[in-house]
Amino acid sequence: MRANPAEYELVAPGTLPRVLSLLAHDPGAWLPIAGGTDVMVQYSAGKLPSRKLVSIWNLPELRRIDISGGEIQIGAACTYTDLREHETISREFPLVASAAAWTGGIANQNRGTIGGNIVNASPAADSLPALMVYEAELLLVSLRAERRVPYANFHIGYRQTQLAPGELVRAVCLKKQFSGYYAHARKVGARNAQAISKVCLAALGHPANGVIEDLRLAVGSVAPVPMRLAETERIVKGNRIDPQLIQLAKTMAAKEVRPIDDIRSTSRYRAAVTGNLVAEFLERLRAHAGRGETRENVLARWNNLPADKAAEDILPCCGSKTWALAMAKRRPILAEAALLSACDEVWKNLPESDWLEAFRSHPRIGDSHSPVSAPARSASWSGEEQRQVASSGEDVKTALTEGNRAYEQRFNRTFIVCATGKSAPEILEILQRRLQNDEKKELQEAAEQQRQIAHLRLKKWLSL
Amino acid sequence: MSESSEVRLKSEISLTVNGKLETVRVYPMERLLDVLRHELRLTGTKEGCGEGECGSCSVLIDGTLVNSCLIPALQAHGAEIVTIEGLASDGRLQLLQQSFLDCGGAQCGICTPGMILASLHLLKKTPQPTLEEIREGLSGNLCRCTGYMQIFEAVAEAGRRGAAT
Amino acid sequence: MKNIPIVGTSVPRMEGRGKVTGHARYVDDMVLPGMLYGATVRSRIPRGIVKKFLFGPGVNWNEFVVVSAKDIPGKNCIALIEDDQPCLADGVVNHPEEPLLLLAHPDRHLLPKAVDAVSVEYEPLPAIFSLEESEARQQIIWGADNTFKSYLIEKGDVDSVWQNADHIVEAEYTTGAQEQLYIENNGMIAAFDPEQGLTVWGSLQCPYYIHKALMKLFALSADRVRVVQMETGGAFGGKEEYPSIIAAHASLLAAKSGKPVKIIYDRMEDMAATTKRHPSRTRHRTAVAKDGRILGGEIDFTIDGGAYKTLSPVVLSRGAIHAGGPYYWPSIRIRAKAVATNAPPHGAFRGFGAPQSLFALERHMDHIAQVVGLSPVEIRRRNFLQPGHTTTTGQTIDEPIDLGNLLDRALELSSYHAKKENFSRENAQAAHKKGIGIASFLHGAGFTGSGERFLGSVVGVEAVRDGTLRILVSSTEFGQGTNTVLCQIVAEALGLRYEDVSIAQPDTHEVPNSGPTVASRTVMVVGKLVQSAAVGIRNTLAASGMLSDDYSPEEFRAACGAYVRKHGKFRSVAQYEQPDGIFWDDEKYRGSAYAAFAWAVYIAEVTVDLATYSVAIDDFVALQEIGKVLHPVFAKGQIIGGVAQGIGFALYEKVVWDQGRMQNGQMTNYIMPTSADLPPIRVYFEELGNVYGAYGAKGIGELPMDGPAPAIINAVEDALHVSFNSIPLLPEDIFAALYENSAPLTIAPTARGRA
Repeated sequence: MRANPAEYELVAPGTLPRVLSLLAHDPGAWLPIAGGTDVMVQYSAGKLPSRKLVSIWNLPELRRIDISGGEIQIGAACTYTDLREHETISREFPLVASAAAWTGGIANQNRGTIGGNIVNASPAADSLPALMVYEAELLLVSLRAERRVPYANFHIGYRQTQLAPGELVRAVCLKKQFSGYYAHARKVGARNAQAISKVCLAALGHPANGVIEDLRLAVGSVAPVPMRLAETERIVKGNRIDPQLIQLAKTMAAKEVRPIDDIRSTSRYRAAVTGNLVAEFLERLRAHAGRGETRENVLARWNNLPADKAAEDILPCCGSKTWALAMAKRRPILAEAALLSACDEVWKNLPESDWLEAFRSHPRIGDSHSPVSAPARSASWSGEEQRQVASSGEDVKTALTEGNRAYEQRFNRTFIVCATGKSAPEILEILQRRLQNDEKKELQEAAEQQRQIAHLRLKKWLSL
Repeated sequence: MSESSEVRLKSEISLTVNGKLETVRVYPMERLLDVLRHELRLTGTKEGCGEGECGSCSVLIDGTLVNSCLIPALQAHGAEIVTIEGLASDGRLQLLQQSFLDCGGAQCGICTPGMILASLHLLKKTPQPTLEEIREGLSGNLCRCTGYMQIFEAVAEAGRRGAAT
Repeated sequence: MKNIPIVGTSVPRMEGRGKVTGHARYVDDMVLPGMLYGATVRSRIPRGIVKKFLFGPGVNWNEFVVVSAKDIPGKNCIALIEDDQPCLADGVVNHPEEPLLLLAHPDRHLLPKAVDAVSVEYEPLPAIFSLEESEARQQIIWGADNTFKSYLIEKGDVDSVWQNADHIVEAEYTTGAQEQLYIENNGMIAAFDPEQGLTVWGSLQCPYYIHKALMKLFALSADRVRVVQMETGGAFGGKEEYPSIIAAHASLLAAKSGKPVKIIYDRMEDMAATTKRHPSRTRHRTAVAKDGRILGGEIDFTIDGGAYKTLSPVVLSRGAIHAGGPYYWPSIRIRAKAVATNAPPHGAFRGFGAPQSLFALERHMDHIAQVVGLSPVEIRRRNFLQPGHTTTTGQTIDEPIDLGNLLDRALELSSYHAKKENFSRENAQAAHKKGIGIASFLHGAGFTGSGERFLGSVVGVEAVRDGTLRILVSSTEFGQGTNTVLCQIVAEALGLRYEDVSIAQPDTHEVPNSGPTVASRTVMVVGKLVQSAAVGIRNTLAASGMLSDDYSPEEFRAACGAYVRKHGKFRSVAQYEQPDGIFWDDEKYRGSAYAAFAWAVYIAEVTVDLATYSVAIDDFVALQEIGKVLHPVFAKGQIIGGVAQGIGFALYEKVVWDQGRMQNGQMTNYIMPTSADLPPIRVYFEELGNVYGAYGAKGIGELPMDGPAPAIINAVEDALHVSFNSIPLLPEDIFAALYENSAPLTIAPTARGRA
């Protein structure tokens, strides 16, 4: 530890206005510190020039995630763990969640913040390429003003940003327009965890009508700032992916980047690996698009069915006849994204009795038998969803049985939870928590779980 | 360096450590690691690298695993800290500590306090973790002696014995 | 005497409870009243004359204790094999980070700035940084010719093998420096009392090495220097000789200030200034018959010792003796030398020369196989040492080791043949290439040749008032299980309970010199002495009539306690005597180099990702014959930990040098494997016993370091059909070899001979 704490001042005003006031009063004098995973490393090495620091850790105005109007606003002081644990981020912005999972170990994820990653502006920062492909916008705030800037312009040089003196990043804004995109990211470091990246790719691709309609590629650690591979995107967009195109893209990507030799790696390696990662992504995108064509076929076939048959066909995905009929009425539905959003809209507007009907189509969690009334497909999907529970220990199963019984006594219906990917103990914990809910809250929670289950099932339905 | 090196003032920081309320007068930028080791004489938390890479300094703050070498004291004001000394009570080892002993999870012991805290944190979130989940949960804690495998076994064993409850 | 099995079971770690509760006391956990903190001012240039020190502004120098070479009461050296390394540079520096001055102050936070504020005027001298530069002798930086030591090992008639050889295979192999990276940095506390003398407490492996060094530095008699080992957080050789330096520094500050002084390095200082594994270069030239048998060969083994001699001769010795591996060489000439460069001296690190020379040999065996047209399996099988054969130093193998059998078992455990076949078939189409590689090797336990005789280790076992026994050795615990295993041995030897035996904290005032805790000797050599000394306790009790022939543990304890209460504490002492029949010639470097060899076959399965050129290890089989497994959990832990370090040596741990100074001295940039990087490592043992070791044990601490690197690189060559002869092998190196024609990475094996 090479710094003398006696020479440093750290204050924690506690609210955003007070912090901004301090920053405005003495521009450039105070260095904001959030989780400290960058600042404290510099400090301990005796390499922190700023002697005055202001804590923005855990400021309520900055550590919040809001969803409204088709956009998610992630507060700058949200930690990587906050991001990983947020359902919408995991679902709609998976590249942000995966970047958060790659940053440091759990302890550093619990403290490092997305705002810190952005403002520290290291070209190797893990979350920045993801923000670039999602076309993030930043809300910058100072005492007098707030402004919104595209993230693409935010970095103006090596470790330099547009942030003005007295300004803080308040939030990162991401528009919810990527659910139809195929998302892929890969970080290449010196080891599998706790590594500064040598190359980091975030990629989104949107295949439609047999071609790549949209493509976004962003790379970290290959230039003084994280960069979009604009030229590579250009040669791919609007085309069908074939081996020749992949080769062209690979070569272009390797040429487009401007990496350096440094203590971690060489520029030639970084350039070549960038090309390889882009090629790897395009291969996967091609395979995905191929599967997507299958989906298009499924939808095309379904769109052409008579209404009652269409309703019957899609019923196993949700269990409510009213829902199924409403979905059939919304045809033609041409893409997965539209299908899912139709599902949500219809579901949201159903009366309670139809929700209950949907709930009734599920077996109890932990039970091997389905209700007699459920269609075969629904039963088979239930089996898959509850696979982890089925293979858990006897004592957990017993606890679940008892829990189910308690739930049914209290709420007079089956306990519904989206079980996929959850372990039995996890489900038990959720059950126990929800037993404490009041009737109104619990109905909403169950409905939300049913909606998630419907999404998963719709996706399976599309690939068959 | 152009900034003046006048001596700043200490702050009074209160924090609950292993269930006990402590108040210390330290510089706000004193590292939490040093507050624990020097002010409170709780030397179970170790310094291996001072840069948040090795995890030897791991503690729990308000139930969350952190590297205490990267936390300024002022940011720990009002927090509840759990260190390795807070685990065994009345001389009885916690299941996790016992499983580390039984499975060879501790050799030289210097990474052990941090490793145990990280394991505890993992088990609280995932009471029966898979090998992959253990690998990931402990990926921020470096061990030079064991090659990790017996540590993973210790954590899995602790999970089986119900250590998270 | 009841026969309760204790040896061979996984008893609880003797000091384990303290380790899992945070109560174990490492040096930085201790604070003494009035204690000062110390820091070291170090050279920033690799070589030159020191003209002047300037104590800059902004520091209240009156408050600091300042020590220079002038303050050294005795001889300004760190006594080891030779006295060439100064404790503090006196007018001349020979490597970056060389200690110049010492500072102490009550407030540890003021030290970094003070150290930075000392500027030094130098007259730089030309410095050298590579083996080749050292050999070229354009600059002589040490002795007459930059050579710390050389050895010549000869057997048979090498000069005659070439003309009859069907194949001659030549290649060169290099290994880089490796940092021990114990998670606890080096640290010492020293206190000086004008009458009592000097006491140091610290993180260390060898209390008596420090004791000897401090005696010389301070011109103090043996009884006025006391060295105490604290709980030590990892060592791996990095705390064998280095701690003498930091102990000397803390002691000088303590003597000058009259107060206790603590010096704890931070990670960057520890990495930059302390010892690392010797970089090496091995050149093989081997004459081979067409059926794959080795006829003879020449091996040129050179290691970079850094700026001072320190332990280089011993590292060289072990590396040279192991250079021929587990194979029969009818004729061989091994030329080994350790040379000087202007880098901080390199030093002990688990394996101690053998990982370097065995890497070369095991890579070379695969190359020989290719040239001859045999498989890596067959080439080894046909050349293995067998009972009755002699090694390169002429030592006869007199135990029933069947290496062919060991190899077969490893092949089966790893499904080698099936995998090799599958990989070569599937690789053509695969996006990622898979390979599998073998390393077969040996490791000699104990000090080389006459080393144990010169050490003349002494141990004691003491009977205590409560009837328990206490082991008195200077052998230290640093995770490998010393405390536990020695107590197991005593308990088993006397039919006691494990709980009835304890071991004293190594304190040179309390324990005899059982030799350094190195060279995989502790369980084998010290263990056997401890067993002997324990029997001495029983003999005394039996002779006194207080103990019957057939006693229970409780009866023993009662009798022992009664004896002590009546006659006072007593101890039984045992000293090492070289067994008859072990003969070693130090001049010719011939004879029985080691009392026992452990034998091993390791097999690594890898995948090379062709998008990132990185190597992942998918499976690792570590099979070894180690005499006897005294503690199953600990033995397995030693192997896994050693394999992990070997994987680091092969694929991750690169020291980046610039002008003799390590540039990547932080954990962020010096890459050791995390839990997410290592595969499950499958460990298997065989036990042939060992008459020279306690309960038949052989040493195992260093063995696992020798095999992983060559097994892995052999696997990578299997996957890619590209030869890599240098480690660490990073993805950037693989990429360069595959795609860049500019610089050939390695000298590919050349083969000449009859068609």
